[in-house]
Amino acid sequence: MTHRHKLWAALILLAGIHAIILFAGFFAPYDYAAQDREMPFAPPGRIEFFDASGELHIHPYVSIPRAADSPPDVAESAANPYHVYRVRFFVRGDSYKIAGLFPSRLHFFGVEAPRRAYLLGTDGFGRDQLSRFLYGGQISLLAGVLAAALCVSLGIFIGAISGFYGGWIDDLLMRGGELFLALPWLYLLFAVRAALPLHIAGWQVFLLLVCVIGAVGWARPARLIRGVVLSAKERKFVVAARGFGASDLYLLRRHVLPQTYGIVLTQMALLIPAYVLAEVTLTFLGLGVTEPMPSWGSLLSSLQQYYVLSSYWWMFLPALLLIPVFLAYYTAADALQERWKSVSL
Amino acid sequence: MTFISNSLVVVRGLGKSYTRRRPISRKKYLVRAFEAVDLKIRRCSTLALVGESGAGKSSLARCLALLDKPSQGEIWYEGRSLTTLTKKNLFPLRREIQYIFQEPAESLNSRFTAREIIAEPLRIQREGTPVEQNERALALMELVGLSPDGADKRASEFSGGQKQRLAIARALALEPKLLILDESLSSLDPANQDMILALLAELQSSRSLTYVHISHDLQLVSRFADEVAVMHEGKILEQQSARALFSCPVHEHTRELLEAMPALEAILEELSA
Amino acid sequence: MRYIGRRLVHAMLLLVAISFFSFALLQIAPGDFFDAMRLNPQISAQTVNGIRSQYGLDRPFPERYARWMRSLVAGQLGFSLAYNSPVGPLLRARARNTLLLTGTATLLAWLLALPIGIWTAAKKGKLGDRIAGLATSTLLTIPDILLFLALLLLAVRTGWFPAGGMISSGGEDLGAWSRIKDVAFHLVLPALGLAVVMLPVLVRHIRSAMIDVLEAPFLRAARGHGIPHQRLLWRYALPVAANPLISLFGFSIATLLSASVLVEVILSWPGLGPLLVEAILARDVYVVVGVVMLSSIFLVAGNLVADMLLFAADPRIRVE
Repeated sequence: MTHRHKLWAALILLAGIHAIILFAGFFAPYDYAAQDREMPFAPPGRIEFFDASGELHIHPYVSIPRAADSPPDVAESAANPYHVYRVRFFVRGDSYKIAGLFPSRLHFFGVEAPRRAYLLGTDGFGRDQLSRFLYGGQISLLAGVLAAALCVSLGIFIGAISGFYGGWIDDLLMRGGELFLALPWLYLLFAVRAALPLHIAGWQVFLLLVCVIGAVGWARPARLIRGVVLSAKERKFVVAARGFGASDLYLLRRHVLPQTYGIVLTQMALLIPAYVLAEVTLTFLGLGVTEPMPSWGSLLSSLQQYYVLSSYWWMFLPALLLIPVFLAYYTAADALQERWKSVSL
Repeated sequence: MTFISNSLVVVRGLGKSYTRRRPISRKKYLVRAFEAVDLKIRRCSTLALVGESGAGKSSLARCLALLDKPSQGEIWYEGRSLTTLTKKNLFPLRREIQYIFQEPAESLNSRFTAREIIAEPLRIQREGTPVEQNERALALMELVGLSPDGADKRASEFSGGQKQRLAIARALALEPKLLILDESLSSLDPANQDMILALLAELQSSRSLTYVHISHDLQLVSRFADEVAVMHEGKILEQQSARALFSCPVHEHTRELLEAMPALEAILEELSA
Repeated sequence: MRYIGRRLVHAMLLLVAISFFSFALLQIAPGDFFDAMRLNPQISAQTVNGIRSQYGLDRPFPERYARWMRSLVAGQLGFSLAYNSPVGPLLRARARNTLLLTGTATLLAWLLALPIGIWTAAKKGKLGDRIAGLATSTLLTIPDILLFLALLLLAVRTGWFPAGGMISSGGEDLGAWSRIKDVAFHLVLPALGLAVVMLPVLVRHIRSAMIDVLEAPFLRAARGHGIPHQRLLWRYALPVAANPLISLFGFSIATLLSASVLVEVILSWPGLGPLLVEAILARDVYVVVGVVMLSSIFLVAGNLVADMLLFAADPRIRVE
């Protein structure tokens, strides 16, 4: 597969994933914080095409194991240990806000109230894992994207100044970068996180995380961009523009920085998944976003407990859903690297 | 202060050196590109600066074109001393002295369109509105023999000879008086060389341009130069009219260079004709 | 020799700078170890302050830094408030465990990656190479946290391997050989996890380094001379490929150290990782700084070793 095909495939997949997560309110059947105290650690419902009486239909049904003391519904046989509910599409459910602004009650699918279908099961508080995965994606992906954007912006700024002006500024900045690179990345992240308030919550801790993750990694992109700037500023067309009296800013803006686009794109494709993982790891360890904000990290953190793994293995399922997300990003990064390697600057 | 009125440029005692460091020991050492250079460039004439590679011709050319600062000496342009001017005061003078590189592919940003390339000096010097800049760019394209239909083609889509024309068009955008061509013909094939030379000759008479031509090709130089200056190891050996230089060179090195030329007899015949 | 001397001095300066900055960073951190104590209405503020000054926490920054540096040289590295003991000895045991884990994982990873990388490079484009390429790409897309959790799941569900820890309970009472076997048994999952995380990146880089060498003109000339394949590989290709491979080793140390934190926490391996996380949550300042410094020392030392190996292996560096 050529890198162009790969890139398109990856981008389409990424667009799809991000769209679904962006509209998590619509695609998720329930709110991420809605607790169902009667159904903690409920196993995932099975999708079937048979209804309660065993008839085959086109539309899907979901079958949920019945709790021991829960009576059978009308039209269900008492012997059937499962509730079987018809899955309907475009239903009205819990209210949510699209992009935090527009209230809506439309959900992609659901079952008739007051029943609830948990396609991926529930956690210890009875919260729907699927909904938590989708909402959690909003936090984790956004954190990764913002942090990567911050990091690359810092890298461009510092790399451009360092490469363009050289001299003692270059020395100072690159030595500073060495300091950042001399620590293993996760340790550095932890150290900086440790230096900041631990017990803040809500949007503040999210913003804090984004700043920490993004700021800590500036050194590598800065070095790469510095390299490109160094070679670009010696190009004859830059000298020519200088000969016309161009200012430094003009040269950077029109001639030098456009040469960095390839590197910037590839770095973004590499850094976003890495920084999503950084947020997930920090939250997993208790150093990141806190309840009730959902994050993929908090989804995974319950998996550290023995009893969860031994009795409630389905809690692992959301973790598997992470794989396509990272697959898409890494494929895109691969394709971008191939493309920019084959184009001579 | 005396200056000869038909000299556009007078150079006195110009020198450029820079320090380098040895890779491992980090000791500094001095590299002298050229020194003690005296030149007089007459208006509306073509001065050829010749010499073998490494003689310092390009460094000198860059200093003349205000692309580099010399370490010592003075450059007088139209009676004004360039070397003592501040960056701000130098800005308007940059329009009058233009430089054309050897490799057109290198000197043009391959992502820019022809229109953007030619209009760039106008943009930088903030001359005219964007509409006016565009019109001038198209007019200049025609002047150098390129069809204005190609104005939106990227530089990479033009051939070598066409790119050099673009470079010339760009250099003419600000209506300069002095054009410095650094081996600008070396990368072209003979047919293109002829075309560009013809274009340059025509522009010289129509726009009263003065040329400084850097070249290592004496044969080529003999076809268009009015005066020739010979450089060797950073120093100017002699500066004479072309006819004089080719028929009776003063310096021994010049004689060596001439002897290495294949068609000396034919050239001398042409020159005396 | 001067090259090595210069690199050594450079490394020392770097470490001093890191120590300064990490110390400074932790000093500006809001809140401290005694926050919980402060909240307790039964303990007066004076008592808390008294304890603080006992530990020297109210001294000005330069004095604290100087005292800490002195204790660093003495091997103490400050004082842990949570464990109520000097940090140095605390780190020693943990560092040993981390080194055991990362060392084993590195060995395992390279032992697997080298043959795979060399073989796929030699068989470039053929079916085996493609399959291996697909496998490495797949492995790469799995985030390491997932992998480690999957291993934990495996341990819990199948019971084939212990689900964490380094020794079984009551393990200290066993004889030396049994103890070693016990530790080794616990080592399998974390080391495997780390190795699998490193493997795809290593294989990719080894493969591309080998391909660069195998396609180089000098090698094609040697092949044209009729030199047998095996000899070509071992005596001609590998020594040249050693340069990028040693550099790769240097780079991989950083990722290895980072990944080891996670695997240690998830699989409860008593190394530096869990200690760090605990200390951060408890605001045990000196422990955090100590662990960060130690990790940095490992990284810098590892790179220094790689540099020296490079110096020994690649004559071009000696001539430069």
